[in-house]
Amino acid sequence: MDKRIAKLVTVIKREYLERVRQRWFIVSSLLVPFMMVGLVAVPAWLSAKSITIADVSKVVIVDATGTDLGARVAESLFDSTHTNPAAARAHLRTATTATLAAAESVATRDVMERRASGFVVLDSSTATRRRARYEGRDATSIGLEKLIQRALRRGIIADRLKARGIDAAQIDSITSVDASISTNRLDENGRGGSGIAATIVGFGLAFLLYFSIIIFGQNVLRGVMEEKQTRVAEVVVSSVPAETLLAGKVIGVGGVGLTQQVLWYGMAAVLMTQIGPFLSRMSGGKAAAAGAGAGVALSALPNFSLGFIASVILFFVFGITFYCTLFAAVGAMVSSEQEAQQAAVPVTMLAVLSFIFVQPITLNPTSTLAHVMSWLPFSAPVVMPLRMTLLSIPWYEVAGSLLSVALGCVIATWFAARIYRVGLLMYGKKPSLRELVRWVRYSH
Amino acid sequence: MTDNAIEIKDVGKSYSGHVAVRDLSLTVPRGAVYGLLGPNGAGKTTTIRMLLNIISPDTGSIQIFGQPNYTAGATDNLGYLPEERGLYPKMQVRRVLRFLGELKGLSGKEADRRITAWLERLGLKTAEKDWGESKVNELSRGMQQKVQFIGTLLHDPDLVILDEPFSGLDPINAQALKDTVVDLKRRGKTVIFSTHLMEQAERICDSVCIIARGEKVLDGGVAQVKAEHAGKNIALALDGAPNNGVSAVLGDRALVTRVDDNNRSFELELAPGADSQDLLRRLIGAGARIQRFELVQPSLHKIFLEKVGATNVEEGMSGHG
Repeated sequence: MDKRIAKLVTVIKREYLERVRQRWFIVSSLLVPFMMVGLVAVPAWLSAKSITIADVSKVVIVDATGTDLGARVAESLFDSTHTNPAAARAHLRTATTATLAAAESVATRDVMERRASGFVVLDSSTATRRRARYEGRDATSIGLEKLIQRALRRGIIADRLKARGIDAAQIDSITSVDASISTNRLDENGRGGSGIAATIVGFGLAFLLYFSIIIFGQNVLRGVMEEKQTRVAEVVVSSVPAETLLAGKVIGVGGVGLTQQVLWYGMAAVLMTQIGPFLSRMSGGKAAAAGAGAGVALSALPNFSLGFIASVILFFVFGITFYCTLFAAVGAMVSSEQEAQQAAVPVTMLAVLSFIFVQPITLNPTSTLAHVMSWLPFSAPVVMPLRMTLLSIPWYEVAGSLLSVALGCVIATWFAARIYRVGLLMYGKKPSLRELVRWVRYSH
Repeated sequence: MTDNAIEIKDVGKSYSGHVAVRDLSLTVPRGAVYGLLGPNGAGKTTTIRMLLNIISPDTGSIQIFGQPNYTAGATDNLGYLPEERGLYPKMQVRRVLRFLGELKGLSGKEADRRITAWLERLGLKTAEKDWGESKVNELSRGMQQKVQFIGTLLHDPDLVILDEPFSGLDPINAQALKDTVVDLKRRGKTVIFSTHLMEQAERICDSVCIIARGEKVLDGGVAQVKAEHAGKNIALALDGAPNNGVSAVLGDRALVTRVDDNNRSFELELAPGADSQDLLRRLIGAGARIQRFELVQPSLHKIFLEKVGATNVEEGMSGHG
């Protein structure tokens, strides 16, 4: 192996292994996938739970309509399969308009003394104005409300159908229809997954890219500063050119970042497949909405083609290179933590700037802002992958954006290497802008 | 192959108007212990950095073992101990050393073997405790210095460059370093070290180069330099009191301008143009039994002061430090 390459490999190995061994790397690699899954799964789980806990088993129906609406509602609520008509009848209390007040006060006492959880009142206005009243301990439960509403609706429809002379069996088959909806993104390139899912995934992707770039950038900055402060840099650059050290550092850290991304998404995918069935069990198939909520996470993900994955990886690699070289230059410029905080502001601002606009771009991924930001080298690594999950971007735009980031990398590396080489051996006060320009112009 | 470990020709380096090194030329023979002397800020560290190809000279050329020092791998045969020492504080000692060894082209396996040998040799690996398994920042300062030596010498370089090696060393490590330098010399290695402590250089070095304000003041073998700057002073000791003939010789103002008579020993100052060997012959001719006849050589420190002038000597620049 060529000596220079052997040395570069030695540097890469050190940068990679020393970071991967650190506790924070292991912890963050393990923790983030759980957070990712949690972010998707918890809302789905909660929505599933709010419906399943809607317990109708102790609801009483007070029917003062004088029709069999009450019986139908009870049947829909308690005996949708027509196997246990007695169970449905047990919940039903018929009254007349005259006895309604008395029946209600009995039911009220039942609720107060916990013999029932609540009661539905169907009176003469129910059939005409399609309105009923529910009183009970869990009056705020949306799930319960939905269930009763649905039963009532079926009852009213059945009544009307009956009034037009349709027989009971047919009525049943007509009213027992349940509909659910799933949303799909459709554009000029065809189907592309669920709209909400794409937004969640896109935002998460952008956030993790940004987060990773910032964290590893800061990490490089601290590493360079440590090398400079401990003077170990001088020993190292007596064996390898400063450029090789910088290249090895950026490649090593980029490798750590990539490893972490792979761990994150890999683990999240595995966790998701474990948690998906659990969620649908939770909802017990009873509520379509809950199933859809859980399904968002799994089945409705945007179509991740190989090209998509490859370009996100490239964006990440270029992005982390761009920022790591700049942060390395900052690290070489300064001699103390306080100075570093200050000197890093311009670089950090670039990264923050690209993230500030993530939300507006998510809401409007075709805006001019979104277009511009996906062409600028400092923001494209975050913005372009986000847009690619939201829209289908023509391949030439992706390639052009990648080219722009690559070009940005070359320029950033050129400047950073020059500042790095000089700064690494300069101790004392932070250089002024003019001195920096001079550093860049030093031939060697 | 040349006989010189290092050839520096007309090297100059300046930083934004400030000249760090001006037209420096020097030659370090193979196998020599070479001292680069000068006050702080004289340009020693800049010279060493240029030598190591950490920075490039603006002008001139540098060759290491007959090869320009910027050729790939030219500095692999070179061990460097910087003035301000440092290692990766959070790295395991063995891993740091393996890293430094691999950077110089050692295989990981070979590095590991040598690291064990070195750790044992310097008492960092004993039956009870292997400090090689600890992190650098868990070691005492003295131990860290030892680790740094190992890092410098692990790849068994033919040329060792030590920048102010004795500063900050505890006496035990200073002794160990001196022994190491002697050992390296015995094994035919070339050692260059910079120091502002003239007395130390005088004891250890074969050759020296004194630089001040970025310029070479003088260079050459220590004996030669001292001989060249030998004053007119002669220390003379006789067996028994001087006879008349001897007294006459000592009284010859063409030979001796001043005599400090301490009874049996004398300090003489030679007359301008007079030859010390002539004086010796005449003393013997006069029947003197000579116990000691020595051209008193000035210390490097004195030579330095003479050449550069005490006004240019910074605080801390002393022959007795």
